[in-house]
Amino acid sequence: MNTNSHGQTLAIAGGVAAAAVLPFLSGNAYLEHLLVLWMLYALLALSLNIVIGYLGELTFGHAAFVGVGAYTSAILSTQFGLPPLLGLPLAGLVAAGFGLVIGYAALRVVGPQFAILTLGFGAILFTITNHWVDLTRGPMGITDIPPMAIGPLAFDSARPTYYLVLALVLATAYLCHALVSSRTGRAFLAVRENAPLAASLGINVFHTKLLGFVAATAIAGIGGAIYAHYIRVITPDIMGVHNVAALIIVVIIGGRGTILGPILGALVYIGLLESLRVAGPLRMVIFAALLTGTVVFLPGGLVSLWQRWRNSNKSENTQPATPTGLPSAEGGAK
Amino acid sequence: MNATANAGEILSVSNLTRIFGGLTAVRDVTMSVQAGEVVGLIGPNGAGKTTLFNMLGGSLPPSSGSIRFDGSDCTGAPSHVMGQRGVSRTFQITSLFPSLTALDNVRSAAYRTTRAGWGAAILRNAAYRREEAELRRKAMEILAFCDLDHRADTLADSMSYGEQRRLEIAIALAAEPRLLLLDEPAAGMNPEEGQRLVEMIRRIRARGVTVLLVEHHMRVVASVCDRLVVLDHGVKIAEGAPAQVLNDPEVIRVYLGREPVDA
Repeated sequence: MNTNSHGQTLAIAGGVAAAAVLPFLSGNAYLEHLLVLWMLYALLALSLNIVIGYLGELTFGHAAFVGVGAYTSAILSTQFGLPPLLGLPLAGLVAAGFGLVIGYAALRVVGPQFAILTLGFGAILFTITNHWVDLTRGPMGITDIPPMAIGPLAFDSARPTYYLVLALVLATAYLCHALVSSRTGRAFLAVRENAPLAASLGINVFHTKLLGFVAATAIAGIGGAIYAHYIRVITPDIMGVHNVAALIIVVIIGGRGTILGPILGALVYIGLLESLRVAGPLRMVIFAALLTGTVVFLPGGLVSLWQRWRNSNKSENTQPATPTGLPSAEGGAK
Repeated sequence: MNATANAGEILSVSNLTRIFGGLTAVRDVTMSVQAGEVVGLIGPNGAGKTTLFNMLGGSLPPSSGSIRFDGSDCTGAPSHVMGQRGVSRTFQITSLFPSLTALDNVRSAAYRTTRAGWGAAILRNAAYRREEAELRRKAMEILAFCDLDHRADTLADSMSYGEQRRLEIAIALAAEPRLLLLDEPAAGMNPEEGQRLVEMIRRIRARGVTVLLVEHHMRVVASVCDRLVVLDHGVKIAEGAPAQVLNDPEVIRVYLGREPVDA
């Protein structure tokens, strides 16, 4: 066990170091931009993973909270002159406020009904954003959003933004790791696995889900705000269904219920979509086929490849393999 | 029989009734359980045993009547409140956390007795580290108690049926309950496993846990229970020591003397 956790620490340190030097290897601005998108998707997917992976509830409303965060910070900085960096925590708070209200209503039901309710709430937020022209400028979107800055350091290009989002991804990964190794996170998993049994053990299922949902929406809001200040233009499309689908795909191909999964999934999503550009109009078809293949042959996501390898190694060495279809409780976090 | 709290009375149920549409599943049942007792709840299929259990565990509100646990009224309290007060239960159909390891099943189940939450885990403070070490030790002790310590890292859904049933008991014990409700723990077990279960229930009682169990295996019931309560069609028809109750003509008639309802 000791050697295992040492190996894990080494692997994490190596991964962080590799992520830190990546922009210097990329060589051009476009690749650096893709790296920022990777990290942004990783951040949003990590937040969505709290709901899909740890609480086991499917939500179609996540992009709406990303949008709430993006619009909050964009409006505050363009209309009230608030420094964008102050807008980030406020975007998180406002998104969490929406998450609290919507979660309070929607988490009364579970499974498909919950998923449909979140789809409905997401559509309502999209429609309001699209039509409340006085506040959001409607379909025209908000332009000229100022970039984030700390004193003389402006996050107005890809490279500094990459490091900012990388830091947030690492912080969020640590938060998730702390979550699943705490009483709170074990309650999340208990609720996912078997809600009636969790309740009989004294776990308030509704409060547990609400906490996870609000935490996820807060992180989504922060991610949305960073997106707004990085791209500097937002339109209601940020809340659209295609963004919801993208985030769900990232979590599932990476491996839900793990920490490495969403980060890896985001890399594959961004990387694959870009490298398939050579295929021209067939791009989305090939992408969809690959995605379907992953879901069918790797239901636990890319991370489960590593778990399979580890288990087969274990069975050769010491004890009988424990067959795993799903990611284990802590998955990448262990 | 009245429902006033005697010394040592941990659970008292008075005039409890549950109606589903036109069907009265449990009618006017009054019973009590003393601290430290093992009480068996028996009756033919459809007698209302599980309905009564669900009301005691808080997953089903009673239509009328009252439930007092440990001196305070908890009629209609939801499941997690009953759990927090110290009532743990197992379910008739195997019920555990399937894609977690046995160790994580037990650790997740110790929610009631742990305190260090997300914040403490982020800070990794001394209280968190101490509690995690203690939780691990306690979880391994409970797994050993249920003869599952060698399976600590095995996923629950890849265990054998007998192991899963023992893991369910380990989960219930992890909450350190004062009252344990066991719903047909011997279902599907062979006589040897049934004998092991009897031993285990005796050791659970020795830990200071009061046990109320629904069971069909008469050998298990007779050898482990101090007292039996018999339900038929939702009505309590007999109560007393096993030897006496199992020879009661009415009980024999209910069990054997008419066409089986569930054939």
